[in-house]
Amino acid sequence: MWIYIVRRLVWIPVLIFFVSLVTFSLGRFGPGDPVVVMLGNRYEESTAERLRDELGLNRSFTIQYAEYMWGFFRGDFGESLRFRGRPVRDLIVPKMWVSAQLGFAAMVISVGIGLPMGFFIATRQGSWIDPALVAGSLFIMSIPVMVVAPALLWVGCLKLSWFPCSGWGGFFDSRLVIPAIVMGVPGIAGITRIMRASTLDVLGEDFIRTARAKGLSEWRVNSVHVFQNAMIPIVTILAFSFAGLIGGAFITETILGIPGIGRFAVDSIFDRDYPVIMAITLVGSMAFVVANLIADVAYAFIDPRIRLD
Amino acid sequence: MNKFGLLIVFFFITLIVGCAGGSSSDESPFAQKEGLDVVDSTPLQDPITEPGTGGVFRRIWADPPSLDPALVSDSTSMGIVAEVFSGLVKLNVDLRLQPDLAESWEISNDGTVYTFKIRENAKFHNGKQVTARDFKWSIERAVNPQTVSPVAETYLDDIVGVMDVIEGRASEITGIKVIDDLTLQITIDAPKAYFLAKLTYPTAFVVDRENVESGGQTWTDEINGTGPFKLKEYKIGERIVLERFDSFDESVGGVEYIVMNLAGGQSMAMYENNEIDITGVGLFDLERVLDPNEPLNQELVIAPPDFSISYIGFNTQMAPFDDVKMRQALNHAIDKQLIAEEVLSNLVTPAYGILPPGFPGHNEQLQGLRYDSELAKQLLAESKYADADTRPRIVITVPGRGGSVGLDMEVIIEMWRQVLGVEVEIQQVEWATYLEDLSQNKFQAFAGLGWEADYPDPQDFLDILFHSDSKLNHGQYSNGKVDLILENARINPDPVDRVKLYQDAEEKIVQDAAWVPLWFEGERHVLIKPYVKGYRLTPMMVPKLRQVKIEK
Repeated sequence: MWIYIVRRLVWIPVLIFFVSLVTFSLGRFGPGDPVVVMLGNRYEESTAERLRDELGLNRSFTIQYAEYMWGFFRGDFGESLRFRGRPVRDLIVPKMWVSAQLGFAAMVISVGIGLPMGFFIATRQGSWIDPALVAGSLFIMSIPVMVVAPALLWVGCLKLSWFPCSGWGGFFDSRLVIPAIVMGVPGIAGITRIMRASTLDVLGEDFIRTARAKGLSEWRVNSVHVFQNAMIPIVTILAFSFAGLIGGAFITETILGIPGIGRFAVDSIFDRDYPVIMAITLVGSMAFVVANLIADVAYAFIDPRIRLD
Repeated sequence: MNKFGLLIVFFFITLIVGCAGGSSSDESPFAQKEGLDVVDSTPLQDPITEPGTGGVFRRIWADPPSLDPALVSDSTSMGIVAEVFSGLVKLNVDLRLQPDLAESWEISNDGTVYTFKIRENAKFHNGKQVTARDFKWSIERAVNPQTVSPVAETYLDDIVGVMDVIEGRASEITGIKVIDDLTLQITIDAPKAYFLAKLTYPTAFVVDRENVESGGQTWTDEINGTGPFKLKEYKIGERIVLERFDSFDESVGGVEYIVMNLAGGQSMAMYENNEIDITGVGLFDLERVLDPNEPLNQELVIAPPDFSISYIGFNTQMAPFDDVKMRQALNHAIDKQLIAEEVLSNLVTPAYGILPPGFPGHNEQLQGLRYDSELAKQLLAESKYADADTRPRIVITVPGRGGSVGLDMEVIIEMWRQVLGVEVEIQQVEWATYLEDLSQNKFQAFAGLGWEADYPDPQDFLDILFHSDSKLNHGQYSNGKVDLILENARINPDPVDRVKLYQDAEEKIVQDAAWVPLWFEGERHVLIKPYVKGYRLTPMMVPKLRQVKIEK
């Protein structure tokens, strides 16, 4: 298995190279020039030229790209163009941390409710509970964040005064509750459905019949044999969705006043803040790659039949 | 000041937050974060939760594009810079010119030499005396090409020698002389009545040389300013905290801290939950707030509209807009009153002139090119482009990301079609590209743009936007007579005559149909907590937080 992990690790730089090259090219060759954005209506060719010089934007593409990547691998993500002179790392790391904590809280909700619910309805297949819960969770998932967030604010903050209406105070702060619900609840439907399907698969397997035949209690069959085996496909989903959550949630963050990376990323894109966009994209893709690797490795632990070599 | 970025942000925030059924803006249409004293049960480990006697004023704001006074060109930055830094003169909340760090000044008989006497007790936040040398250095820094200020030329080019520095021929401004520690002499190229008003803009503010030189590019992280507030904390995307600075100015007292929330949020809900002390009221909440039985109604304040105008610009050098009759016909074909009432819920006032209501020189009597479908048809028939088959195709470029050109533009296009049979194409381009092409006067016609006052003088609208030589005259409008009037108005010493000249120029510009002036902003509805005293809503961004008192 170690060989497998090492082999996968070797691929990471290759992947990052392609992702970075594409992002970098899109930024440099796409429409819109950060200098123009900075100068706005006051744009003048001479001022713009001076600014480009100062920011190093008029050097060749290869040099700019090489210099950027060299810095990136040393942990230096460059300086922001929008907030002149500020290291990108100082800008994005605290915000990613906020988004990651929020994402984790949301995932606890999705999984905490979705897994047991999917398992439960699979064992009740054929009764009315099964379609009712699936439909119900799909319905909730279909309500846009723009509706859920203000509605929760109205109830939880203004009417009941249980939670503040905005802001961020860390993982153990009451202000986490509303955004975590807003982001976590829609995820329940997906987890429920996958868990339901995979539980049904497992229930039909021979080894379950064997387990029952050898006289194991129903609880032990369900918890050890069914639940554990049904978890396998969920792990991939979790790994990917967690990597995605590091990217933040623009709308939730905007409505609920959370200083996360989602809103910052969107603002940076509109302001053509290349170094920030690059860093967020690269860190995001690395998170995906690593999460995927962890998922694969986790398979091996959950299901001894899977061998990674 | 370019109002465009502001419009975009506004559009976007309204789109997101507005759809959510909430209000968008605060006094300025931006977003924000984190409340203090949010819910009683959640104490914050925050030095500002237990302030001194002055209290805390909490509001929503957005990340300022720059806190360097030399670089400021937008109202978000201005709202902070104008409180943390200061200059020789300032505008008060009534928009009158007031002494600031200069206690007095003399103007030579020919109106070109200004001698400022700096206050003996004018101090930087670290206690250092402000001298004439500091001002000379600050202004020379602002115009130095290395500073890359987008606004230095606009605000300071009247000073003799400034263009030499901007164009790299000199490093010192010949028109600025240090007479002694506290006496500064500035010579301008002609007796321009609006010169002092221009000095109220941050580009002319004083900065501490040591602060700037030792801080590198991020010197504004630790500002040693001269303004009524110190920058105590700035966390990008989170919050800005200002702390009162007791200097020479005004009575001691007033609010101790200003906390500006930068992370976004539903401002109306935050206001109702006592997380912020001021909020704008969006359309969705307006009806409720206007109801006299609603408790919030007691906290409602009507804010004067900003000094701004939105318009459709024509490139007067390009067909078919090179024909004045064509331009007039398009103007007369639009029923702005109807659009304002039926489409825009009276949130705007139809504009028939250029200078906004309440602005110096605004002309109540100006008739403008009002809706008259018969006249419009007749003008079109008389124009070079009467024949629809040979008329060049008309493309109006608008900035944007969403595909929507705005309800008002859609109605205008329909009115042109119905009244004149003129078909118009809309081209939407992403805004960075829009600005680039606009600055090179590439558009045949353009919309989605506005202009916002920088200082209360008609020169700021008419001269800057319509003089043939102005770089911001993107429609390349050129009328020798108008140029002459504008040039005379610059140097006319008599305030009444000046206004007449500007009104005359405005009349001609409007008759020439250089633009379709569209909308002046309407009044805005703002909620302010009853314990906040002395906060004035102004049509321009001026230093005003020092007058705020919190009486809980």
